[in-house]
Amino acid sequence: MESSSAVDPREAHIAELEARVAELETELHEQAARTAATVAEAQEKLYWLERWHVDLDRVMKRPGALAALEGLRRARGLKRRVARAKRRLSS
Amino acid sequence: MGRTVSVVVPVKDGARYLGELLAAVSAQAADTRSLEVLVVDSGSIDGSPEIARAAGARVLEIPAGEFGHGRTRDLAAESTSGEVIAFLTQDATPLPGWLAGLERGFDLAGDVGAVYGPHRARPETSPMIARELEAFFATHESPDGGASLQHAGGEGFLSNVNAAYRRDCWAEIRFGDAPYAEDQAFAQRMLAAGWAKAYVPEAAVLHAHDYPPAQFMRRYFDEYRGLRAALGHVERFGLRSTVRDVRALVGADRAWMVQQGISAEEMRRWSRRSVVHHSARRLASALGSRAHALPPAMQRRLSLEGTVAGPLPDLEPGADAPPRPVFVPAARRAVIWDAVRRYAKHGPAALRPVLPGQAREAALHVACVIPPFSRGSGGHNSILQLMRRLELAGHTVTYWVSDELGHFDGHRPARLRRDLREWFAPIEGPVFVGFEDWYGADVVIATGWQTAHEVMLLPGCRARAYLIHDHEAEFYATSVESRWAEATYALDMHCICASPWLERMMRERYGRTTSLFDFGVDHAAYRPRAVERRRNTVALYARDATPRRAVPLALMALQELAERRPGLRVVSFGNGAMINMPVPYEHYGVLSPRALSWVFSEATVGLVLSLTNYSLIPQEMLACGLPCVDLAGISAEGIFGADGAVALSAFHPIALADQIERLLTDRDEWEARSHAGIAFTAERTWDRAAGQVEAGLRRALAATGPPR
Repeated sequence: MESSSAVDPREAHIAELEARVAELETELHEQAARTAATVAEAQEKLYWLERWHVDLDRVMKRPGALAALEGLRRARGLKRRVARAKRRLSS
Repeated sequence: MGRTVSVVVPVKDGARYLGELLAAVSAQAADTRSLEVLVVDSGSIDGSPEIARAAGARVLEIPAGEFGHGRTRDLAAESTSGEVIAFLTQDATPLPGWLAGLERGFDLAGDVGAVYGPHRARPETSPMIARELEAFFATHESPDGGASLQHAGGEGFLSNVNAAYRRDCWAEIRFGDAPYAEDQAFAQRMLAAGWAKAYVPEAAVLHAHDYPPAQFMRRYFDEYRGLRAALGHVERFGLRSTVRDVRALVGADRAWMVQQGISAEEMRRWSRRSVVHHSARRLASALGSRAHALPPAMQRRLSLEGTVAGPLPDLEPGADAPPRPVFVPAARRAVIWDAVRRYAKHGPAALRPVLPGQAREAALHVACVIPPFSRGSGGHNSILQLMRRLELAGHTVTYWVSDELGHFDGHRPARLRRDLREWFAPIEGPVFVGFEDWYGADVVIATGWQTAHEVMLLPGCRARAYLIHDHEAEFYATSVESRWAEATYALDMHCICASPWLERMMRERYGRTTSLFDFGVDHAAYRPRAVERRRNTVALYARDATPRRAVPLALMALQELAERRPGLRVVSFGNGAMINMPVPYEHYGVLSPRALSWVFSEATVGLVLSLTNYSLIPQEMLACGLPCVDLAGISAEGIFGADGAVALSAFHPIALADQIERLLTDRDEWEARSHAGIAFTAERTWDRAAGQVEAGLRRALAATGPPR
């Protein structure tokens, strides 16, 4: 005969599964919080684009847009190099 | 290809685009089994017939006086033999794929009697027209951006600028002797007869009616005169609505121009033109649909065609024929209050089990569903103040705008979020418009009756709560709105109520589980200011557009008071528009909280009435040391007591005047109530209110229960 105090292996398994569910639910909650924060941050950044109905995808599809962006990047790189050189010379 | 096609082009002095048009048609001959082109010329003097013949088209010449939009097209159809008759106007140039697109439209279903395609803007077309064409035809596409099939009750538009008809459909319906809008009338009759029509985005033509403003106005006059004759359409016209509409349209034009990358200088030029264009169009369309009431000489002058309309059929004396109804297609927007219908059909969404600890202390994901808002909305201020504090307490709050009536069409979430932050409280969570991105929550909160049915339908939640600021069924006369608002209180949600009056009502009348919260006061804004207190000033909350504010009763009391006290000074606030009062007054309009606190700090008595739940305003007055008067026997006793900081009056103009006068004359009573008010509001903070709401949310979770 089995002892009445023996733990039912099914109950232990259920407890294990419940603990796993709780763990996953906690992860889900954290993920929801991170998602909300990310979306809110994006909305904050997008305000002026949305306020003026600017669709950057569409703007970048215009002829010359990629070239202009590349030019801007280069100009910014050049500005950084000049600033770095100035710092070196003045130190 | 499977069909023979006849292309028909009615022409009068169309030399400008005719050669280009016919060349574009001929270039697509390979897309069909057999192609014939017929140009019907009605008295051109610019060489159009010669251009047509040179391009290989057959030309049918008719006297100018015989032209009619309907009868000339019927004549052309009779004079051709193609299985499909495609009509183009003389300034519509087919784009590559046009003919194949039309053919494909007929292949969509066996009952397709007509196919039409979009009108694309020519490069020189004004931004107003180009934007409108783009937006207009986008609404005809299927949800995936492709061809769409339309049956009776659906989209009713059809345009002979670019449309093709199956010969048997045309033979059954025919255009008849319609002077104008023959295509729209044809569409109405063919759909009613059981035919379908199709829209194919690839069957496109280059076409735009771009005229100088005066000519544009005259063309619209003709179009709306024709619509009145063909369909009975009467264009509504009002000064306010016109200003509002023109403003919105100019805004849309400007947004479109920004998207197109139009330069600032060009934008300024086109913006001015846009104002003229849309204003003239509204005026011309209203005049055109009332043309029968104008003298013939004026009609001739206003018409681009220089013609005079005949009398309307239903205005002919002695007319005795069956009345002709106006066919109205189904609206594109869903039925209003569609959530009510969906809830009636599907019932509530299942709830997920509550996790251990959520009913006590765990951080929650709270989804707050709000109705559309405007600056100064007291209800939204309270909601956002509470939610902001829940965020500060460590909860994740997401905001969902339920906008069934389309108040925020065209507004994007980032803009609405900024508005909420600037107008109400600096919330941190994201804002969503509609529920396409819904991803569940621990607790979802309804915050107005318009949101309650939607909240019941949202899946993936563990509990639902209803934040109740007022008994909204009383906002309406007997109506579906009053019935449905009342029905929301029977929905299975835990009610978190803004006053004992509401709490008792929800519990006793509707049998709900309830919690209570007290409105807070923004003490940073509402506090006594360093300004001399007047002895004769009544500050009236004059929001007469809100009937529950009992403004007519307040005005009666002020009239009585002014007769007793000639030196009485009245200041009004809370209403943008000036209202008619029986006494002279000073108008402040809608003020910010900080500006309002100066008004409250200077006035002697506040007069703010409510026929339903008490509002935030009496508390804000009290916080500035201003005693105020409200109505007895409704909700205020539950908050302030029968003889507390707020003086209560019977619903009676003379009793109300007596109560105000006591506060104006009895210095001891004024002092006592002023001090009592400051003491009362000292503990009324939004932090405390948010704590009460959080407790309510935990109760809602406890009611759902743990997993089984």
